[in-house]
Amino acid sequence: MATLINTLWEGVRYRGGIGNWAYLFHRLAGIATLLFLAIHIVDTATVFFFPSLYQHAIEIYRSTPFMLGEIALVAGVLFHGANGLKIIVFDFWPQLWSHENEKKAAALVFVVTIILWIPAAIIMGNSLIQCNFLNACAGG
Amino acid sequence: MMSAISSSPTVRKVAVPVTFETRMWQFMRWSGVLLIPLVWIHVALKDVIVGVHAIDLDYVQRTWALLAWRVYDMALLAFTFAHGMNGLRHVANDFVHSEGGKRAVSWLILIGWVVITAIGAIAIVGGVRAP
Repeated sequence: MATLINTLWEGVRYRGGIGNWAYLFHRLAGIATLLFLAIHIVDTATVFFFPSLYQHAIEIYRSTPFMLGEIALVAGVLFHGANGLKIIVFDFWPQLWSHENEKKAAALVFVVTIILWIPAAIIMGNSLIQCNFLNACAGG
Repeated sequence: MMSAISSSPTVRKVAVPVTFETRMWQFMRWSGVLLIPLVWIHVALKDVIVGVHAIDLDYVQRTWALLAWRVYDMALLAFTFAHGMNGLRHVANDFVHSEGGKRAVSWLILIGWVVITAIGAIAIVGGVRAP
């Protein structure tokens, strides 16, 4: 526990710049996605094991807090993928790596994440408002 | 052209012993490349295009009526969860320092991975049952 708090605090305090932020977000997004994934595999498996429970699981997915969480999760998944691609490129083509390229690539990752996330967040946010607040759900 | 100061780093070739960790390092990168289309298409389809309000037992049944979607979901299950659980092991090793602790964490992660992957795989093969 002490190491965990120390790591989290030092991770924020450490002035490593954009590359360090990319590293921190990569881990946070990865762990958050894995936690969601473990739950998601088990709840989807109810279609075979306990089909009567599946509708209940879906109701939870449709709730406002869960849909807000999903919108955040999409940002995490997009960032983790884009940043992962950055890691792969520098690992497989190390001659491309330099201090400047690392910073540029990390900035590009954040920009790409935001560009891809905005339309997804708008559509998901719209469906959240239509379905949960305006009673005008396209999905039924 | 790069200036003299910002020259590219020294690149040297070393013979890397092929251990379990070498294989996992390679797996994280190759599965990562594969997961970008696999996961992003899944999220775009289920969360953005179809939306959670249109998903129910009937929707899953219609999707899985096509064998290709079952193969897709099986690949998704296999690669995402293995990638994620190995990533968790990687992160955990930064916090757990004792050899015994590392071993215990690795076993827990391995068991969790096998059990949850099996649950998902059985459901994909078994398909949707009547409630």
